[in-house]
Amino acid sequence: MPKSWYAESKPHYFCPGCGHGVTLKQLGYAIDDMNIQEDVVFGIDIGCSLLAWNFLACDTIQTHHGRTTPVMVGYKMTKPSKVALAYMGDGGGYAIGLQSLLHAAFRNNPVTVILVNNENYAMTGGQMAPTTELGVATTTSPNGKTIEFGPGFKGPETVRSIASKDAFIARASVSNPLLLRNILKEAMETQTEKNNFSFIEVLSICPTNWKTSAEDSLKRVKEMEKYYPVGKI
Amino acid sequence: MSKRNNQTYKLLLSGEGGQGIQTIAKALVATSIEQGLKASYLPSFGVEQRGTPSIAYVIISNENINYPRFDSADIIMALANRAVPRISKFVTPNTDVLFDSSVIRANTFSKIAVHKFGIPATSLSREKFNPKSYNVLMYGILIKMLDLNPDISWKSLKNQLKDKFKTKKIESENKDAFEYGIEAVLERKIFFKPTFETKATINYYKNREKKGIINPARCKGCGLCIEKCPAKALSFGSDLGVFATPVPIVDLNKCIACGMCHQICPDGAIFIEKINNKENK
Repeated sequence: MPKSWYAESKPHYFCPGCGHGVTLKQLGYAIDDMNIQEDVVFGIDIGCSLLAWNFLACDTIQTHHGRTTPVMVGYKMTKPSKVALAYMGDGGGYAIGLQSLLHAAFRNNPVTVILVNNENYAMTGGQMAPTTELGVATTTSPNGKTIEFGPGFKGPETVRSIASKDAFIARASVSNPLLLRNILKEAMETQTEKNNFSFIEVLSICPTNWKTSAEDSLKRVKEMEKYYPVGKI
Repeated sequence: MSKRNNQTYKLLLSGEGGQGIQTIAKALVATSIEQGLKASYLPSFGVEQRGTPSIAYVIISNENINYPRFDSADIIMALANRAVPRISKFVTPNTDVLFDSSVIRANTFSKIAVHKFGIPATSLSREKFNPKSYNVLMYGILIKMLDLNPDISWKSLKNQLKDKFKTKKIESENKDAFEYGIEAVLERKIFFKPTFETKATINYYKNREKKGIINPARCKGCGLCIEKCPAKALSFGSDLGVFATPVPIVDLNKCIACGMCHQICPDGAIFIEKINNKENK
């Protein structure tokens, strides 16, 4: 278990097999490796990501829905020595909070945004999200998502189109935890050393709402990687 | 509950989200209203999809209920360990505590609770009926404790669970569980050994080259480590984890100590590494 995890709060509140646990584990190891546990300030959004309120033994801020990025931008402006991490889901980052995210990227604010994409609104029961791919059945699209609701939203590509050249933007997946850790480390280094904006989308699994077993969840995340390519963008 | 006495029963139903607490409460309230009583029902649960305490405050009375104030409970039903701390302040010396003795120990409740009635609902329903019908069994016991009409009660439960009874077989299994609950005799035994209890100790594995630990108190049984293992060294064992799901066991002869299970585990329950033989020598 990473040193930066808050051991007393385990077992945590996420469902069995949740991708948040995998992401936060690699984030914990990345924080351990960089030895920045004292400096990290962890901002969490509404949605499943709020269940991480006592996950890390770091200072944590709970913000309004979609407003994690501007809160962390403001925090970083007042305390530039801290490492500001904004942690959110795809509903918070791409649906309600897209303007905040885009403006932070546009201004090249030195914060690190970690967005966990599980293709649905998981906390409220698996409704269709902007990131849901065409043809995928959810509780609000029982016959599969149709083109009227748009294809799957490609966040990192959108942010790249307006972000500064120096910004670090990447996509990772929980099917490859070690790559995920390296990308998280590089993103945090972008903030601490180069003072630039960094944004990572993590393709995650949601066995509870996808109603899949461990095997099928990993298969589906591999399918997602075909539509949402992994790597630097 | 006879209509002659002016009696008010305060019931507290508790368990984890997903155990059917609110469904039972709804059916209970519906059936008491149908049988000419007054009832009030207040649900209380968190924002999560599953796994956090879920509590229902139910009052059933012959008279009008003017205000659903809830200071103490006459009957408490507990289906999960995690809900027990939340209900302890409603316990009085006169409270009847009804609990699932195959998941909860009798001594988890405070000492004030004198009348404790355990029934191994989970293991009974696994053996005799549908594994998921333990809540229907508990509903039957509640109906008997309140002295309500079983036939009407079954009908209102059926109304609540319309969509869940997909086949006739599931329905008949649940009906059997309900009737078992109606007829069950409650004894005041001391229940200290639940069948489905999280293993409290850590499992250690060691051979000449590798050592590992698996912590059942953290494992939620998602199976990601088993899927990710490249050497197929992991498989489900017989110990039980947090949600009474099986915990993996490791075959150290097959294991190549790559650390993949440790990297993927969302809960930090498993760790296997190579032993540094040079240091030992």
